[in-house]
Amino acid sequence: MTLKLIPRVAVVPVILFVLAILVDSGMPLSAEQGSQRGWFGRGRRDIMSSSTLPIENIPQAGEFIFLRVRFDEAYTSYGGYEWGLDMGWNHDYPRAEQNITMMLEELTNIPVKIDFRGGNILSFSEPEIFDYPFVYISEPGYWVWNDEEVLRLRNYLLKGGFIMVDDMQSDDTEAFYRIMNQAIPNTQFEILDTTHPIFNCFFQITPEDILNQYYRARYNGTPVIYGVYEDNDPGKRLMVVINHNQDIGESWEFANTGYVPVEQANNSYKIGMNYIICSMLH
Amino acid sequence: MFEFFFKYSAYVYDKGEFVLAAGWPAIIATAVLAAIAIPVILRYSSVRGKSSRLDRSVLVTIRLCVLSIILFLLLQPSLAVSTAVPQENFVGIILDDSQSMQLTDYGDERLAPRSDFIHELFGNENSKLMMELNERFKPRFFRFSDSAERLEDLNELSYSGEQTRVGPALDFAHQELAAVPLSGLIIVTDGADNSIDGLSASLQSLRANSIPVFPVGVGMERFNRDIELTSVEAPTTVLAGSQVSADVVIEHKGFSGETVLLLVEGPDGIVGTQEVELPNQGDSTVVKAQFTTTREGPHLYSFRIAVQDDEMVRNNNQRDILIVVQDRQDKVLYVEGEPTNRTGFLRNFAIDDDPNLMLGVFMRMAENKFWRAGFESAEELAAGFPTTREELFQYKALIVGSFEADFFTTDQRQMIHDFVSQRGGSFLMLGGRNAFGEGGWQNTPVAEILPVELVPPFASAIDPFYVDVFVTPTLFGRTHPVTQMADSLELSLQHWQTLPPLGIVNQVGKVKPGAVSVLEGKTVNDETHVVLAYQRFGRGKALAFTPVNQWYWQMAFEIPLEDLTHETLWQQIFRWLVNEVPGQVTASTVVDRFAPGAPVTVTVGVLDDNFIEINNAAVTAIVTSPSGQTRGLELDWTVDTDGEYIATFIPDEEGFHQIHVWAGRDGKALGEDIAHVEIAKLSTEAFAAERRSALLARLAQETGGRLYSPENVASLPDDLRVSEGGTTVLEVKDLWDLPLIFMLLVALVGTEWSYRKVRGLA
Repeated sequence: MTLKLIPRVAVVPVILFVLAILVDSGMPLSAEQGSQRGWFGRGRRDIMSSSTLPIENIPQAGEFIFLRVRFDEAYTSYGGYEWGLDMGWNHDYPRAEQNITMMLEELTNIPVKIDFRGGNILSFSEPEIFDYPFVYISEPGYWVWNDEEVLRLRNYLLKGGFIMVDDMQSDDTEAFYRIMNQAIPNTQFEILDTTHPIFNCFFQITPEDILNQYYRARYNGTPVIYGVYEDNDPGKRLMVVINHNQDIGESWEFANTGYVPVEQANNSYKIGMNYIICSMLH
Repeated sequence: MFEFFFKYSAYVYDKGEFVLAAGWPAIIATAVLAAIAIPVILRYSSVRGKSSRLDRSVLVTIRLCVLSIILFLLLQPSLAVSTAVPQENFVGIILDDSQSMQLTDYGDERLAPRSDFIHELFGNENSKLMMELNERFKPRFFRFSDSAERLEDLNELSYSGEQTRVGPALDFAHQELAAVPLSGLIIVTDGADNSIDGLSASLQSLRANSIPVFPVGVGMERFNRDIELTSVEAPTTVLAGSQVSADVVIEHKGFSGETVLLLVEGPDGIVGTQEVELPNQGDSTVVKAQFTTTREGPHLYSFRIAVQDDEMVRNNNQRDILIVVQDRQDKVLYVEGEPTNRTGFLRNFAIDDDPNLMLGVFMRMAENKFWRAGFESAEELAAGFPTTREELFQYKALIVGSFEADFFTTDQRQMIHDFVSQRGGSFLMLGGRNAFGEGGWQNTPVAEILPVELVPPFASAIDPFYVDVFVTPTLFGRTHPVTQMADSLELSLQHWQTLPPLGIVNQVGKVKPGAVSVLEGKTVNDETHVVLAYQRFGRGKALAFTPVNQWYWQMAFEIPLEDLTHETLWQQIFRWLVNEVPGQVTASTVVDRFAPGAPVTVTVGVLDDNFIEINNAAVTAIVTSPSGQTRGLELDWTVDTDGEYIATFIPDEEGFHQIHVWAGRDGKALGEDIAHVEIAKLSTEAFAAERRSALLARLAQETGGRLYSPENVASLPDDLRVSEGGTTVLEVKDLWDLPLIFMLLVALVGTEWSYRKVRGLA
């Protein structure tokens, strides 16, 4: 049926065009090289290299700088995000970090770098990412990772780094699970319950308190916070938190716009600050 | 030579009093001199002829000198000395019977044992020395080493004593001869006193009783070729796993520029080796020997250099020290003014699995919001930073992170000062935006204890100070235990060169005089910043560590995953902080190794909860011998020193003895401590075995005696006669016939004759 809508003479050029896009974009041709979520998960077929974006980072000066991880991903489209691109990792940038850093400065004693950029952006291909013991990753389900990034992800975590993974639903979580297991084999995602220090190291909060209206409305998803422990031992250091059916960054982004309920915004700040402070306490 | 010119020894002149035996009044002698001199001057001055004025002046001067000497001789110059009455006085001869007398360095051409000197001079009745002594005195012999006793026959000397104790030997001989007229004590020794006894009391007693000591030194004052491990200094008590740095003093003669290997052997074998180049300039060098302690308990650590060719003493190349490796848990309080990554990295990587450290963290997360972790109980520091000394002094070390001075009350700041100076704790200030001068700590008691000068910050809040520095050990720090990152000093230094820079946000001033910089940082512009410095203050020590992101040596991309720089550095800093911090009760002995049969004195310091000395404590100890036998000790306050208690016991077994001490007051326990001593045959006689002339000279000077060597000992009997000790009579010795005077007269007359001949006046 589809072919009937296209003149027969145009079939070959269309096929060639599609192949050219696939080759030029450097898209992996095997599933092992990239995310398992699927290349066409959101209907687009091109890959945007995040390394070409004009990003100028804030220099380190002994203060806390919020760091967002960028990565090449299978799905990229134009959209209402920074640089006019919808890349998953840049969702909520920079307003999310602008707001959470201001709240950190206001409510804690952490020496925070306040900047109009909100924070810095680096990928695991860049060695400077090891200068930031706390990093934020948004929607890594579309991450097209390579071996170097996976090795550095492993080293980052085992050296003492902490990752907050956000805006995840089932496909994203499964994809990130595979990334993590390539980095650190046999990694387990453990559900963090209310007794975990992550919910009370600074603010007292429960996973249920941070219900995200969007996920509830769109996926009817119950928010769950997964954690990854060093050696899968809950008695050891927490290395990763994964906000499943949850988008804390979005609540930060819109906290001062009225687009999200006040309670949701407040609770997202609380759990975000708990993540950051807990990462410092190990 | 002196006696050739002056007829008598200098000692006789020293003891005698100059007199003019003719008995003329001085006015008459002056008148006679004037009566002769004036005509002579007038006669010469009136002479006219070939002579010039200069000639007449020279000749009249010579003539007057001759006349003056003759007049002086007519006055019968004499020495009045108190001389021992022959055969009325005793003399004590104290002979060194220690092992060092077996050393073969006596004599000129063919070296013989030092003991040969004793037998040649004192063991032979026909020797000139003994004949003169026997003729004038009644000699009594004594032998001494670790103890002293009467000696009837010199063949009883075995030269096997394990110590040389000069003071007790003098005391013993003095007491033995106290009831008889004593002209003096002759002590024949190398002077290599290796006891802990002081000499002052013995010498004071002899001086008070006018008993001179005549030491006769034997042996070389400087060996031709020898290597000696003079001393080894290391902490006596450390936590298990501590990196230990021992200061080894190596002294050598005749090995300039040669390289030797220093070995350190612990309970499980060799724990460290180091090549040492012996210095060209000077005889001694100090080497830092590094090793890690592992097994709990008291252990001997041996430091040795293999015996080299032609060494004069072969068993002074090894030193053993006792190190007690403890498996205790020390409490450290870490207060941090803001949430920071370094807290987690310290907790998780530096001391996570360390059973010997309990790190209590008190962190200000926000205004009036605090977080506590790592404490023994939920109540500990529940009310915040300690408000009483008793509460603060329970910790061995205090670490203050980025906390401004105003957070603490005036009393709390003084308590931190007292924590170091009075309690003897360790204090560490970490860099941060509220630390050092940036935190307003200048002009507080804490600034006084810090090893760096604090300066007011000059950077603005909008553009705060920040520099990245590449950190390396200073010249001093290269051998310090905390900077050791590899098996050898060279590898460790190389490792430091590979580390990425750390950030500093504080503008601290210079390292204070008396403080030491251990690590320093250089910026890309080659500016130097203090990174780690420390100083002793009162009973404790204070450290400053200026970087804010030490965790970076764990996280940095350049640092391999398996690298342990961050862990090692901080584990070593933590151990440095808690090692040798005293408790309320501290037991010690003056040395940790004793010879069998030697008394062991245990000294215990007792402090109350505020670390103030108390004199009414009940202090007891149980000594456990190697076979498990125990004995109880009651310790008494010394009266001389506040809070100090002592007791003495004599061990009856060789091996390690444990001394467990308890102290309490009014039924309340104040604390306990354990000391260890080893009872073993010591090889102390092999060390510092050269003739110690300085010590022997002191014996003579402080008692009115004289020091002799084998070369001049022949004059000893004459000197002993005028020593003023014992029964004496006054003897006047003529000086008119001094060879020097006749030589002078001949020289003057000859000069006049020669002068006249040269000038054509004869």
